[in-house]
Amino acid sequence: MARAAPTLHTQRTLSLIMKIFAYRLFIASILASLVSLAVPAHAQKTIELLNVSYDPTRELYQDYNAAFARYWKAKTGDDVVIKQSHGGSGKQARSVIDGLPADVVTLALAADVDALASVGKLLPADWQKRLPESSAPYTSTIVLLVRKGNPKGIRDWDDLVRPGVSVITPNPKTSGGARWNYLAAWGYALKKYSGDEAKARDFIGALYRNVPVLDSGARGSTTTFIKHGIGDVLISWENEAFLALKEPGGDQFAIVVPSLSILAEPTVAWVDKVVARKGTAAAAKAYLEYLYSDEGQDIAGKNFYRPRSAVAAGKYAAQFPQVKLITIDEVFGGWTKAQKTHFADGGIFDQIYLPH
Amino acid sequence: MQAGGVPNQATSPGQLTSHLEAPKKAQPQFIMRTFSTATRAALGALVLSAHPLLRAESQDDIQALRAQIQQLDQQLRILERKQEIRDEEAAAAAKAAPRIAITDKSFAFASGDGADSVRIGGLIQLDSRLFFNDGGGVLNNTFVLRRARPIVDGTFEKIYSFQFVSELGGTGSPSILDANFGVKLNDALQFKFGKFKTPIGLEWLQSDSWTFFDERSIATDLVPNRDLGLQVSGKFDGGVVTYAAGVFNGVPDSTNTSNADFDNDKDVFGRIYLQPFKNDPTAVLQGLAFGVGAGLGRQKGALAVTSGYKTDGQQTFYKYRSTVVADGQVWRVSPQAEYRRGPFGAIGEYVVSTVNVRPAAGKPKAQLENKAWELSAGYVLTGEDSSYAGVVPDHSFSWQNGTWGAWEVAVRYADLKIDPKAFPTFADPTINADEARSIGLGLNWYLSKTVRTTFDFYDTRFSNLVPLSSTQILRQDEKAFITRFQLSF
Repeated sequence: MARAAPTLHTQRTLSLIMKIFAYRLFIASILASLVSLAVPAHAQKTIELLNVSYDPTRELYQDYNAAFARYWKAKTGDDVVIKQSHGGSGKQARSVIDGLPADVVTLALAADVDALASVGKLLPADWQKRLPESSAPYTSTIVLLVRKGNPKGIRDWDDLVRPGVSVITPNPKTSGGARWNYLAAWGYALKKYSGDEAKARDFIGALYRNVPVLDSGARGSTTTFIKHGIGDVLISWENEAFLALKEPGGDQFAIVVPSLSILAEPTVAWVDKVVARKGTAAAAKAYLEYLYSDEGQDIAGKNFYRPRSAVAAGKYAAQFPQVKLITIDEVFGGWTKAQKTHFADGGIFDQIYLPH
Repeated sequence: MQAGGVPNQATSPGQLTSHLEAPKKAQPQFIMRTFSTATRAALGALVLSAHPLLRAESQDDIQALRAQIQQLDQQLRILERKQEIRDEEAAAAAKAAPRIAITDKSFAFASGDGADSVRIGGLIQLDSRLFFNDGGGVLNNTFVLRRARPIVDGTFEKIYSFQFVSELGGTGSPSILDANFGVKLNDALQFKFGKFKTPIGLEWLQSDSWTFFDERSIATDLVPNRDLGLQVSGKFDGGVVTYAAGVFNGVPDSTNTSNADFDNDKDVFGRIYLQPFKNDPTAVLQGLAFGVGAGLGRQKGALAVTSGYKTDGQQTFYKYRSTVVADGQVWRVSPQAEYRRGPFGAIGEYVVSTVNVRPAAGKPKAQLENKAWELSAGYVLTGEDSSYAGVVPDHSFSWQNGTWGAWEVAVRYADLKIDPKAFPTFADPTINADEARSIGLGLNWYLSKTVRTTFDFYDTRFSNLVPLSSTQILRQDEKAFITRFQLSF
């Protein structure tokens, strides 16, 4: 049976539908053409990353960024430009939470990166599992930097609580290094007083009564001690102390290794929300993963950070002093507990420190 | 908010931070350093002067004195360093602190890093309209609050922008004039959503505040006003090429949208504008720009018919019969050009507006094509640069200082022709003109960037197919002298 010819109404409806379709296709093609003109082409591009780091890592990332840029160019053909921001670790974390668009953070301690997850919701809570060694590609510790000849006879933590000894250390409320300093001293006091928390608290109180200036970050404290000539002893990141000796005028200082210190594990992470928005996830991940490469570990060692890899650790073993190290987990129950007990508002530091 | 030492990037929308200054910091550090240097000098002098007195004292006393001096030296250094830290913290806090600026451009509030900002502005135009030889009061001489607009616009996170403008002046009810927000991905790709000017007419797209004359030419009668839709736009090479394209509900000529579409169809508009010599400051043609805007759509219904075309004196000289309905394709095209060089400026455009209309529902339709063109020129007598965005006087008007702002003269010719097929079926020839030709002469006084007074004379001649009745204003030409007092910020 032959199909009936379409009615005039049907023909007009079909014609209208075709016109509407053609009309909308025309609009879409114009818009698509304009978008393709405006959106940059894919071949060779320049990626920009922002690395928000803690205070004393300027020299490390200056060397590392150049190496990574060479690596990335060879691997992908793209250029990568890394912008750096440095400051007290806690302060930097707060800045990122407040909107500083960090693609990666390389902070002094895991607690500051945890804050990005718990407060800022910028990365997942299990971020630390994403990279080897709990996302700490290198370690450091805390030492004492004194003036040439050690005129005040600083030998160990006990000497920092003596009357008349002026101690330089940054503010633990803003500086990650300052928190490591504090915990290293507390750990020593706990060992000295066989775990007596009250005596350890008094010890720390006496130490901070000898602190005349609290800088916001570790580099600021180094400036206070070296450039401004203030204080008898600087409680310092190990890498910072070695850098000070390398600088012109470094022969005016000496490192004193205390009998006990803390294993400091600066941690790194990419900031998921930022890299998703900026489209830099691949480059950001690669940037942090390369820290674990042979070249990355060698750069760490060259800048006086203790590398994780056996090869680099062996190469740079001679430059690092032997020191008994405690860990944040074994003595303080982890960063979450330590942060809450000592450094949160109203914590022990707030109770014992009175500005003077 | 940014902090932690990363420099801010420059902002485009809102460009508010350029005149927002961080508060000046005090100079206690200089005072501290001077004090500590003087104190050290005094201590040294004291030691030297005391030395003869202490010759007979033991070395222990000298050592004690040295220790005391070292202690004082340390205390001074500590004071200096604490002040330095306080200054650094104050500078960082000032940088992050919100900024408020009240200037001749607007009232502006911005975050410390400039990523977020809100600007409050306004436009007030009070006109005085005098009509000559109008047959004794057919046209009222009148003051008119031509425009009274509160304006709020701003940016968020640097890439999101918004604009809200309401109209409280004019002869209609208070209304929302502009309400839109935008997303700027980069200079070449920006999106805008909401109610805003359709991208077609050059004179139409210029700000209401800064046209050569207080009223746009009759050529602009043929372009739609504000409409609801979405638009993509951008510029390349610093503005050498500018484009805009969008989809809108569709409105008739010379009409603002009523916030709802009157039919099921949409209009598409596009405009491309070129300034090929823009980046060459030595080129005589650096200020030359040209382009074309066009629109295509379908409109249906009585509301799709324009309410009429108006003269410079805002009198309606052409209107369709009340039974006319639109039904079919609408298209407009407007080639346009502009030239500015120093104090001289000129713009010109040609507009064709085509509509398909029926004299009444169900009646046979016709396609009508109305055409218009205009050519305007201005010259700033006081030497400042002519500008699409308004003349900025080198010296604002000041009676005390004897400065007089900027003065500009302007001249314009415009012509609008109605399609002869409109008469008599679609428009009554006894009450409508089929052509209007207008000459305008203007004098603009820019007292400051925000205040302008204009003195414009318009002479509009009408041609009519048939003699008009004695009560029609179009029986004689319109001669209008319009003075405007304007505040725009």
